[in-house]
Amino acid sequence: MLRAALSLLALPLAGAAEEPTQKPESPGEPPPGLELFRWQWHEVEAPYLVALWILVASLAKIVFHLSRKVTSLVPESCLLILLGLVLGGIVLAVAKKAEYQLEPGTFFLFLLPPIVLDSGYFMPSRLFFDNLGAILTYAVVGTLWNAFTTGAALWGLQQAGLVAPRVQAGLLDFLLFGSLISAVDPVAVLAVFEEVHVNETLFIIVFGESLLNDAVTVVLYKVCNSFVEMGSANVQATDYLKGVASLFVVSLGGAAVGLVFAFLLALTTRFTKRVRIIEPLLVFLLAYAAYLTAEMASLSAILAVTMCGLGCKKYVEANISHKSRTTVKYTMKTLASCAETVIFMLLGISAVDSSKWAWDSGLVLGTLIFILFFRALGVVLQTWVLNQFRLVPLDKIDQVVMSYGGLRGAVAFALVILLDRTKVPAKDYFVATTIVVVFFTVIVQGLTIKPLVKWLKVKRSEHHKPTLNQELHEHTFDHILAAVEDVVGHHGYHYWRDRWEQFDKKYLSQLLMRRSAYRIRDQIWDVYYRLNIRDAISFVDQGGHVLSSTGLTLPSMPSRNSVAETSVTNLLRESGSGACLDLQVIDTVRSGRDREDAVMHHLLCGGLYKPRRRYKASCSRHFISEDAQERQDKEVFQQNMKRRLESFKSTKHNICFTKSKPRPRKNGRRKKDGVANAEATNGKPRDLGFQDTAAVILTVESEEEDEESDSSETEKEDDEGIIFVARATSEVLQEGKVSGNLEVCPSPRIIPPSPTCAEKELPWKSGQGDLAVYVSSETTKIVPVDMQTGWNQSISSLESLASPPCNQAPILTCLPPHPRGAEEPQAPLHLPSDPRPSFAFPPSLAKAGRSRSESSADLPQQQELQPLMGHKDHTHLSPGTTTSHWCIQFNRGSRL
Amino acid sequence: MGNKQTVFTHEQLEAYQDCTFFTRKEIMRLFYRYQDLAPQLVPLDYTTCPDVKVPYELIGSMPELKDNPFRQRIAQVFSEDGDGHMTLDNFLDMFSVMSEMAPRDLKAYYAFKIYDFNDDDYICAWDLEQTVTKLTRGELSAEEVSLVCEKVLDEADGDHDGRLSLEDFRNMILRAPDFLSTFHIRI
Repeated sequence: MLRAALSLLALPLAGAAEEPTQKPESPGEPPPGLELFRWQWHEVEAPYLVALWILVASLAKIVFHLSRKVTSLVPESCLLILLGLVLGGIVLAVAKKAEYQLEPGTFFLFLLPPIVLDSGYFMPSRLFFDNLGAILTYAVVGTLWNAFTTGAALWGLQQAGLVAPRVQAGLLDFLLFGSLISAVDPVAVLAVFEEVHVNETLFIIVFGESLLNDAVTVVLYKVCNSFVEMGSANVQATDYLKGVASLFVVSLGGAAVGLVFAFLLALTTRFTKRVRIIEPLLVFLLAYAAYLTAEMASLSAILAVTMCGLGCKKYVEANISHKSRTTVKYTMKTLASCAETVIFMLLGISAVDSSKWAWDSGLVLGTLIFILFFRALGVVLQTWVLNQFRLVPLDKIDQVVMSYGGLRGAVAFALVILLDRTKVPAKDYFVATTIVVVFFTVIVQGLTIKPLVKWLKVKRSEHHKPTLNQELHEHTFDHILAAVEDVVGHHGYHYWRDRWEQFDKKYLSQLLMRRSAYRIRDQIWDVYYRLNIRDAISFVDQGGHVLSSTGLTLPSMPSRNSVAETSVTNLLRESGSGACLDLQVIDTVRSGRDREDAVMHHLLCGGLYKPRRRYKASCSRHFISEDAQERQDKEVFQQNMKRRLESFKSTKHNICFTKSKPRPRKNGRRKKDGVANAEATNGKPRDLGFQDTAAVILTVESEEEDEESDSSETEKEDDEGIIFVARATSEVLQEGKVSGNLEVCPSPRIIPPSPTCAEKELPWKSGQGDLAVYVSSETTKIVPVDMQTGWNQSISSLESLASPPCNQAPILTCLPPHPRGAEEPQAPLHLPSDPRPSFAFPPSLAKAGRSRSESSADLPQQQELQPLMGHKDHTHLSPGTTTSHWCIQFNRGSRL
Repeated sequence: MGNKQTVFTHEQLEAYQDCTFFTRKEIMRLFYRYQDLAPQLVPLDYTTCPDVKVPYELIGSMPELKDNPFRQRIAQVFSEDGDGHMTLDNFLDMFSVMSEMAPRDLKAYYAFKIYDFNDDDYICAWDLEQTVTKLTRGELSAEEVSLVCEKVLDEADGDHDGRLSLEDFRNMILRAPDFLSTFHIRI
């Protein structure tokens, strides 16, 4: 029967569901010898069912989201509960008994932890601690208030005779019920509020409350439960005291367990450099261990996981690799969303089981009214008190949303199921009431909160990307405020945060962060870095597909460490703009012998036909090898490059494979030249640092922009060769002519002196004067092989983005080839060796992004760009004039 | 203590109340704090308007401030003479700006002044570099600092003149409304 039900439930996957129904026959008859085919349902039953449930839930989710209209109106949680009801009804009808209930054990041990971990780990910690006072107040005082008032009021209701006498419950029973029904549920709150997008402060307060009130709920529930079990007559004064004490033990203990595990986790990830593959696993395991440990010691497990996630994030993120970070993020989100889906669905299914509950209208209605009323009252009272202290007071509208957002959910349901019927005779009534309350809050309030928020014009969260300014000013203001607080001798919030940050910097970070990670880990730099990566990725997404090497064309982003440690640094220092898309920069001091070797090697590599590459068949479990696609892309790219080179060669002139003679241009010099020529009419040479466009947040470009860029890119692709510049920096340094400009400059002179406005604005103008100089300079050589290495290097450096190797002597920067770049021979104007994530955007992209952020300001610039396109043929010529010039300019800088 | 009368005359208190966003009580509290900074320098009797300055060395050497990168800049901005020596009026001003009652524009103005290291009424790249260097406590190389600054300028520079005017700064600050609303302390 059960299997029949299952097959019905799993209609979407008819094939899979078929199997169980077949099963009964096979064990029935004695097997005649060796069986060809055998069903072993019982051996796989449990995991199979679990997998099926998750599958059903996920499929349901897909179906819901087919219609955007439905999901925009109805929160997913409502839909899932309704689906659960339907499924439950089917099960009930088919199986004649309720199956697949939400078991408290399953819920607390398996379903809840992922959700809490997800929310703890991704909790905006700054916001959380900024509002910690309010959150704690609502979580502790508010929950206590709700529990006692609701319990007492219900008891009063019963005394008044409004609850049917068959509900046999005393004051303690009601308090117990009050304690479990009063807690705001993190799962429900998260599910509903995530779709509502109220402003962050409001969200963090409601959500933080729902997480932190777990400790209070657990304590209250346990205390009341044991009181009920002892019987009210046996409760002594000391028990009350113990109850109060246990509140502290449970909450602080839970938090301590979480922090200990967070510490362990951070420490462990510090040493995973060689086994990157297990990094994500460690995160999940240790967080889960924290949950189980807290649960084992009957501390607040939710609090433990929350604190664990909150505490470890900073260090873990710094330690683990970029890939691991992504893995952690997605796995966490997937697990959490899975668990949430299953919870709501099971809630719906569980509600169908009428054997578990008994209805009493007085109790149900009374509870509903009381929880709403007391929640509102509690919020208003507490907010009034809090507003006396808060920097930014919570206004009335916030209070309405907070009261209304007090959703109850699966935690309450699981707790009420856990009650012992022999001790709590009214359990069935409580169960029914809880179900109604949960359904009411999730469905009715969940449905109406969105219109309510709209109607009240609650401040929504603007989705603004973090900007460097924001980060900068935040820090500055913190310091200023801390300073002012210090002067007045007032040890307020800023004072303590300042202290904490210093402690963290001096001791904790040193201990918990990989040394390499620690050094890159400056917040301002970090934001800069992330902005760059994001831009880089969106750049690749947009433009990279022109060559089939899409996923790979990210420029390598060497770490700061390598900057600091290699001799290329000095060279780099002067390239302030950093918009260098040069293929590679080799930074080793080479002996003459080396150079000869290299030349020979390149000659051979360039001239010999290469056999098909053989790849090591590696199936290491410990390392992720680049997949076939990547390799293919690489090869395609290389072939492309070669072909272009060949065609270029044939059309132009014979290339001498000699030493590369880079014409290093100094930024300062260039800029100076630029000043002189700022007004030059030829707008062509433009080199624009990608950071120039950094403010631009590239998300999704508008369609037309896309098309525009596509067409322009593709059409140019065919007829142009890509020009490479390969240079060894040592040679650069030796170059007499150059060295004047290039002297190894100690750090501080990076900034070109007083760039003019025009330069700042239209940096390509500054490139003007250089073109001539550049053209007349020296020969370069083509080093396809080096390119190859550069390529590999860039990939590997991509992989180690998170914790880049310390000493990567030759920094090879491989930049995404972009056909447009080929037209611009002045590429090397940039110091090619900028190791920072640097590259430029196709003008159209930048345009799109810019126009998004600053709608009107860029019009003139766009116009100025137009001539650039027109000049295509001119640039085309330039390689011809500078015969031996082979430079790759991937730098389609365009500052808009 | 009852020495409210002896410290300030009634008129003085009135004037302070008019010029700042503080109540009488708060003014007295701030005065005692001020007096605390340099007990031997600051008289307990202000009725004669003595010309007293607490030298910056005293403020800057407070142990709590030791690690604060902006201590000198703050003192400079709020002191009349620009070298960090603070009179009582400066002291009150400083907290007045930080008080909840102070209008946003005033806060923005002073924040701007704090950034404007060279007092040319624009935040230029150099100013920003100072800020970033201070903030990062010298952990970024100069080149990195200038990269960051370039980007910051680029983000906020509304009129594209390569430096931030007060207007640019204000626009940018107001774009993220939390900034100024949290830019105050309770005394």
